[in-house]
Amino acid sequence: MTTAQEAPYAPEHSPRLHWAEHAPEVYKAMVRLDAAARRGLDPTLLQLVKIRASQLNHCAFCIDMHTKDALAAGESVERIIQLGAWEESRHFYTEKELAAIELTEAITVLTDGFVPDEVYDRAAAQFEEAELTQLIAAITVINAWNRFGVSTRMVPGHYKAGQHK
Amino acid sequence: MTVRTRVLDRGVGQALSSLSAAAKKGLGDPALAELVVIRASQLNHCAFCLDMHLAVARELGVSEGKLDLLAAWEEAEGVFDERERAALALTEAVTVLTEGFVPDPVYARAAEHFDDVPLAHLIGLITAINNWNRVMVSRRIEPGGYRP
Repeated sequence: MTTAQEAPYAPEHSPRLHWAEHAPEVYKAMVRLDAAARRGLDPTLLQLVKIRASQLNHCAFCIDMHTKDALAAGESVERIIQLGAWEESRHFYTEKELAAIELTEAITVLTDGFVPDEVYDRAAAQFEEAELTQLIAAITVINAWNRFGVSTRMVPGHYKAGQHK
Repeated sequence: MTVRTRVLDRGVGQALSSLSAAAKKGLGDPALAELVVIRASQLNHCAFCLDMHLAVARELGVSEGKLDLLAAWEEAEGVFDERERAALALTEAVTVLTEGFVPDPVYARAAEHFDDVPLAHLIGLITAINNWNRVMVSRRIEPGGYRP
């Protein structure tokens, strides 16, 4: 037994603000938006998109939630771990999933400049128009949850799979 | 530059609108709301959103001086008051999340000027315009379509 193993973890932080209690109408609209945006999308693909956007936006609460939901739905540990380096582990994913992940990155990192034509075209080759616009909406919605999670410093670690379905 | 697609699910569009409306109402300051929304749209390069919200801001009587200097608000101290500056700093932090979190000083400065309820709605508004920026830029919706 080394001292490193005995050393306690850092203390858990508190959230900055219980935003949903202070803005219940905003929260209700978010829940409706989430439900509307996921319609017509493959749930397996949707979880990959949600995890990748949450990684890019550094939303600890969202990563905790969506990795647990993905695992509970039967997603593999390998595919979740490799998401952080998907460009070098393309053979873990389908071409459709890769196009969706790439679009997720472009739409998430908007401040670096637009959604490139190549990225959009690759997604448009894999998704028909209505499904593609649902994917855009779903990427937007996880970005929104990420913004609430990070701004108000929501605490990860307590989510139980399926809790917010 | 051509539009990529105009398709947007009706339910998604309605929920996006409800979210914006709820956030704006709870913030309770329409002129400040436009400053926030325009600044986020500048950062996200949303041409449609800028065109629309600059028009809305002018209808509300927001001064041309503020609109001109909004992109450089940090260097324009006399133009924006402390409350506006706190809201704009929060807008930038919440919009540019990929470069790392919302810093404590930025959050604390916002919390100094906004009580919990308006602050929760301000975060909601920043998020709501980020949503619109994403659905408009991704689909490459052209500016000029907004009519008051």
